Amino acid sequence: MKTYCLVILTFFSIITSCKPTAEEVVVYNSVDQVFSEPVLKDFERETGVKVKAVYDTEETKSTGVMNRLIAEKDNAQCDVFWSGDPLRNNILISRGITAPYQSEETALIPAYFKDKENQWIGFSARARVLIYNKRLIQKDDLPKSLLDLIKPAYKGKFTIANPLFGTTTFQIASLFAILGDSRAREWMQDIKANGVIIATSNGDVKKRVMQGEIAFGLTDTDDAFEAEKESDDVAYIFLDQQNSGMGTLIMPNALSLIKNSPNSENGKKLIDYLLSKETEAKLAVSSAQMPLIRGTPLPTNVPSLDAIKPMKIDYNETSKVLEEIQPWLKQWAEQ
Amino acid sequence: MSDIQLSHIDHAYGGQTVLRDFTHTFAGGKITCILGPSGCGKTTVLRLIAGLEAPGNGSIVVNDERVTENGKILVPAYKRRTGFIFQDLALWPHFTVYQNVAFGLNEHHAKNVGQKVKDMLDLFNLSNEQKKYPHQLSGGQKQMVAIARSLVLRPQALLMDEPLANIDIQVKSRILEHLLSIHQADPFTIIYVTHDHKEALDIGNSIVVMNQGNIIASGNSEEIIHSQHIFLKSFIKT
Amino acid sequence: MGRAINKYVIHNLLTLVLLLLLLVPVLMVLVQWLLNAGKINAISFLDRGALLLIVNSLLLSATVALLATLIGTACGFFLYKTHLKGRRLYLLLLIVPILISPYIFAVAWKDLLFLLFGSTASAFSTAGVIAVHTLIYFPLALLITGNALTNISSSLEEAGLMVTSFRKMIFKIVLPLIRPAFMSSFLLILVFSLGDFSVPAFFGIKTFTVEIFTQFSAFYNYDAAITKSLLLVGVCLILLLSEARYLSGAAFFSISTRGSNSKIYEMSGIGYVHHTSFAILIILSMLMPVFILLYQSLSGREIVIDSAWKLLKPAVFQSIKLAFWGALLISIIGLYAGYWQERLKSPFTNVLLLILFILPSTILGIAFIRFYNQPETGFIYSSLFIVLLGYIGKYGFIASRITGNGIRQIPVSLEEAAEVSGVRPVNKFIKILLPLLSPSLFVSFVLTFVLCLGELGTTIMVYPPGTELMPVKIFTISANAPQALTSSMALISLLITFFFIILFFMAGRVMFKKNSDE
Repeated sequence: MKTYCLVILTFFSIITSCKPTAEEVVVYNSVDQVFSEPVLKDFERETGVKVKAVYDTEETKSTGVMNRLIAEKDNAQCDVFWSGDPLRNNILISRGITAPYQSEETALIPAYFKDKENQWIGFSARARVLIYNKRLIQKDDLPKSLLDLIKPAYKGKFTIANPLFGTTTFQIASLFAILGDSRAREWMQDIKANGVIIATSNGDVKKRVMQGEIAFGLTDTDDAFEAEKESDDVAYIFLDQQNSGMGTLIMPNALSLIKNSPNSENGKKLIDYLLSKETEAKLAVSSAQMPLIRGTPLPTNVPSLDAIKPMKIDYNETSKVLEEIQPWLKQWAEQ
Repeated sequence: MSDIQLSHIDHAYGGQTVLRDFTHTFAGGKITCILGPSGCGKTTVLRLIAGLEAPGNGSIVVNDERVTENGKILVPAYKRRTGFIFQDLALWPHFTVYQNVAFGLNEHHAKNVGQKVKDMLDLFNLSNEQKKYPHQLSGGQKQMVAIARSLVLRPQALLMDEPLANIDIQVKSRILEHLLSIHQADPFTIIYVTHDHKEALDIGNSIVVMNQGNIIASGNSEEIIHSQHIFLKSFIKT
Repeated sequence: MGRAINKYVIHNLLTLVLLLLLLVPVLMVLVQWLLNAGKINAISFLDRGALLLIVNSLLLSATVALLATLIGTACGFFLYKTHLKGRRLYLLLLIVPILISPYIFAVAWKDLLFLLFGSTASAFSTAGVIAVHTLIYFPLALLITGNALTNISSSLEEAGLMVTSFRKMIFKIVLPLIRPAFMSSFLLILVFSLGDFSVPAFFGIKTFTVEIFTQFSAFYNYDAAITKSLLLVGVCLILLLSEARYLSGAAFFSISTRGSNSKIYEMSGIGYVHHTSFAILIILSMLMPVFILLYQSLSGREIVIDSAWKLLKPAVFQSIKLAFWGALLISIIGLYAGYWQERLKSPFTNVLLLILFILPSTILGIAFIRFYNQPETGFIYSSLFIVLLGYIGKYGFIASRITGNGIRQIPVSLEEAAEVSGVRPVNKFIKILLPLLSPSLFVSFVLTFVLCLGELGTTIMVYPPGTELMPVKIFTISANAPQALTSSMALISLLITFFFIILFFMAGRVMFKKNSDE
């Protein structure tokens, strides 16, 4: 009998080893763990507040954290949601899961990159780019605009990730917002007719272009940045940068405070910490993210936001557009 | 009816010798009992004749045909026209009684399979059981099916490996009587392995006594009973 | 009367606990769905397209299950029924694909196709999904049918050899005899293949599970996802229960406890044909994917195995610890469920585990979150218990079947003999049944350990914040990391799992050698 007790005791002590500490903050994270984890560790070291993170990634569709946040709605476990783009935050807002937050630090962020009620606050941004393999296509031969993708010269030569997921959804939704429904649908049908290859994720786009399987594809700046580090054959350009062009999509990271969260004070502390020049500088170095706060130091190989012509969209409007077009996108992808 | 000849057979399992220079001719059309304690190699003799194993050495002749030579099987089991009754009977559990009996006939593309099976089942009083599966039969019925399954192919020789070991005396004698009467009507070679000397003396036209992979005596029941061999005397007494 | 009820409650205590901890959360999701059903018009999700899709997915998975079972059975025959040289090594190598996650396997194969032919279009097809699933799941068939083959009494085969040729005997005697194992292998692989979304999603093939996943992750539409999952679960249940007769008779992962009298055939003359076939199979299912992972981890700008290990290190030990406790718990529950099913003829616990087994991982995760994320049960939700519960839900059924079959192979007479000798029931269980059953329990432990070590679908939904677990970490880091790092991590996880397999294999040899000497 003693042995049994001992076994059971050991079992419990091992399983329940994570005791609640007074100073902690729970963050659910859909930003790539490689880049976000070091920043969170720094916060832990500098403030003494223990960070408990749940990682997931938009590349693999954020199913984990998003469904968790939705299912936990009535008894929130998470303090801060750190997303790679504001779309997901908007889904949470529409389901009443987030809380507004305002502070000195949130004031640093330009209004354009925030929700009007501060339900989400943006920082460090990525942009959509065209990544290409120099062995397969010359820079001069590349399309200059998304709208060029329907040209016969590019038939079967380019790839985008499944538009149902990740930042690709965002890019397509923004296109619908800018061009209007019918033109955008037409364009989608045309690129399909022009042999677009649908990859599983942005990472998959990057990989296929890098390997030389496909000449070029659409992805995010951080993927392009990684690809350049990994291979000399790869380079990237921003699309629609002509004077009359519609500009390229800029996607800030987005933070939301969760409603009725267990450690909301520490959650606020973490948000303030992330909304700083220091954090933006770190993310610029590690994943080529472009700072939103003016005067943040930049490495030479990361472009400044000022140098890019942004696509003029309203993020919250675009989120609404997305919800409307999603069933159609599903059909489009499954055709 | 031709004899079954085994000449200078050596056989071993994993380095352990079971048969040593075994030579014997089993008379055609007669019942020979192989008698001996367990582990003496008597089952192995049957398996070699049947073709379930190849001997290490020596040759075997069945139906005037050399079936093994120098450790190689020349004629496979199913072409030797021998029947085998296994100790555990080995009735195929996924076949009915009818299917168990008919299976071999069908494999040999025999004619009138239905009639032959029916006759055989009648002979063993199994007609009412033909749609049953083995697990639905009594112990005695299972024995009957096993024997019927072999005899329906009209084998030149029937090899029986202690088939009646676990069955009560009344059923056993009834089955034996049945078998012997069939044998009398149409003689075929029977080699019957047992460790029960009474049974052997009872039914065997001749008896082969084995111990440790060798024949220590052979002859008719009279000769065996009166043998002066020490092992034999003690074995028969116990 | 009171005592009788007491006894009944005590005997069924574990069933009640399992019911409460595992099935009630699922039932609550069901109830909520039913209450909602009128409002959301659930039937509208089940249009013609959905039904067509489930038929297509079933066809795809049935093809996989059939191919995998055929290949597995053929391998099983040569590895378990012949003296083929090197068969132990073959067996060990052929089991490796089970240890590689389907997603990594699919990626590796696509990369390989590109490396060899410069084109990967052929992989992005139904055929690609079938090929990858078949290669991943045939080892399961090999284990199941192989063990069934060794359990056929040799005299049944020999009686066949007396009347017909070897080839016909195999088709007419041996194959019908292992039909239960064949069926259970087929159905098990069917369920596994139906349940996996990662491979078809990667190859761009729409299956029913991909559809459920899309409803969850792109639309966050629980009602649609749950309605469709219910349809999937219903179909699986009907399939499994319709074959319950075979399944319950199947030699499901049995391992023979006593010296088996299985017939072993000599393979003379044409041995090289078999060796070549095995070599091809091993190259396809194991060497190629491992080669590509190795190639990719070494072909980056710098060698990153070291940094991959640094990233994984904290997660590895946590994962092993958790998989150990998970496998232990699951084996105990499997023993309990198997005993009730086989000896007490009460299938309830077993059916409970079966339902959880065929439930899509995401649904199990959602059910757990909704049920356990309450102030009263928060202590479970915020601890690793929740991950263990996920493991039990996903793999309890497998353990129950392995142990149940082990129990079936032990003649009741052995226990009855103990009873008439006046042995107390507890001692009968501990001193007769458990020692005889130890090989089955061991297999159940090892297999569930390996499965727990790689479980991702439910774990990623419920793991407590701040915990690091190996499959989750590989999954989340892989997304944007350089290929070399991703491949290195996959390779490390494969090596760790393989290390434990070898370790258990050797431990098993020592343990059971001692037993058989006694």
